[in-house]
Amino acid sequence: MNTKLVYSGSPHIRSNSSTRRIMLDVVIALIPACVMGVIWFGLRAWLWLALTVISAVVFEFLFNIVINKKSFLQCVREFDLTSVVTGMLLGMNLSVCVEWYVCVLGSAFAIIVVKMLFGGTGRNLFNPAIAGRIFLLLSFTSMTKYMAVGDVFGELTIAAGATPLTELYTSGVANASLLDMFIGRIPGTIGETSAAALILGGIYLVIRKVIDFKLPLIYIGVTGLLTVAFYGFDFGMFLPSILGGGLMLGAIFMATDYVTTPNTKLGNIIYFVLLGALTAVLRWYKSSECVSYAIMIMNMTVPLFDRYIVNKPFGAHDKKKA
Amino acid sequence: MKKNEFKNIALDGLARQNPVFRLILGTCPTLALSTAVLNGIGMGVAVIFVLVFSNLIISLLRSVIPDKVRIPAFIMVIATFVTIVDMTVAKYLPDLYSSLGVYLPLIVVNCIILGRAESFASSNKPVAAIFDGLFMGCGYTLALVLMCTVREILGAGSFLGIKLWDFSIPFFSKSAGAFLTYGLLLCAFNVIYNAVVKARKKKLYGDYMKEKYADISTEEVQA
Repeated sequence: MNTKLVYSGSPHIRSNSSTRRIMLDVVIALIPACVMGVIWFGLRAWLWLALTVISAVVFEFLFNIVINKKSFLQCVREFDLTSVVTGMLLGMNLSVCVEWYVCVLGSAFAIIVVKMLFGGTGRNLFNPAIAGRIFLLLSFTSMTKYMAVGDVFGELTIAAGATPLTELYTSGVANASLLDMFIGRIPGTIGETSAAALILGGIYLVIRKVIDFKLPLIYIGVTGLLTVAFYGFDFGMFLPSILGGGLMLGAIFMATDYVTTPNTKLGNIIYFVLLGALTAVLRWYKSSECVSYAIMIMNMTVPLFDRYIVNKPFGAHDKKKA
Repeated sequence: MKKNEFKNIALDGLARQNPVFRLILGTCPTLALSTAVLNGIGMGVAVIFVLVFSNLIISLLRSVIPDKVRIPAFIMVIATFVTIVDMTVAKYLPDLYSSLGVYLPLIVVNCIILGRAESFASSNKPVAAIFDGLFMGCGYTLALVLMCTVREILGAGSFLGIKLWDFSIPFFSKSAGAFLTYGLLLCAFNVIYNAVVKARKKKLYGDYMKEKYADISTEEVQA
């Protein structure tokens, strides 16, 4: 009798998906955008991405070993790549012009304070990468200085700090062509500029059934349309406003994080509509990029969604009919 | 006043009922003023002064004040001393006065002072009330100075206004950083506090069991 019997309640269907596999898919989907970031911003971008990923993993291991008193082997066995995703997303959210310690501090804040202190994977209240980015935005002015894109392997020249999006909101015209915005030849953070690569990653995630294709579309659509509405139904605003800033990165990779979205389908749709509206309003009000702030504010409302929008249990019926 | 009672009051004020880290009272000035150590010390001394004297007066008047109107009466006493502090600081320390701003007159409605008047001074003798005010104030000041130290060193790279190094994380001197620092310090304080309490309980229990079974064990050994 070698068969091991497992007793458990229904449902008995098992799937092969695990946190590690989903996160591996996300890592693969992020790679095109990282490659484009390295192509446009040079080797420094590559270094910064590597630094955030490595420091995120190191901080997770350190926290598990020192505070949770786990052995190193146990940490390796439980390692589920979420910190790699957090590190990559944080790195993609940085400007190339930051100093090296900014990357490490951002990773430390994202992993230790936002993720591990709340209980680790699956228990964090905020998206760690978003919280890390906001922490750095509030702290270091170098976060808002962007590199002007020159030659592919050109030297680092720091631009005055206007992305096409801020230019669009302040003067009404984006300072780059739509094609440039689509392939990413614009100033911005390492990972946000190349809309094409981000969309490619998004399509991969949809095919692998990691994310629902409706949700990023709702987010992007609502933000774009509301921006158009705010500026007197000027439909020329639609494409620049969704391509020029961090909306693609935020909508496809950051807002769709499982932990910080509601559990139900209906809840998710309402959540993403509100997220899009909040992003459009904040951008219009502040005339600058506010995707990260909008996502962080909406993250706080997720427990409310889960409390009031609940799926009907199988077999449930109204009390009145019975 | 017995020595034991004195020890209890001191421990209550500094650790067991520390206003900032255990009772979570007076958080508004704690969060808003803790950007610089000098602010923290100034605020702490002002609070100690007001607490000691309001506790003394309220304790002396505890049989005179009618129960139904005790809160307005307490506020009158507290407001008197806050006005004295406010005017003194405005006259002699104008720099501190401008950096403390609205939080100095707001000591009147500070929960720590009203809380001590209500829960301690109005039911205890004057000497005990004075010591309670002193140690509660010291506990508040120490906690505030700890917050200030962390936030000033991290947020401005300086200590007591003296520049230590060029590196700083301005996040910590902003209001979001105040909440973060407060939360982390609260967590650290309570982890240490609970560990100490647990260790002490274990030790006390061990001593008690040793005493109780001392005779039996020696008899058993002999048998």
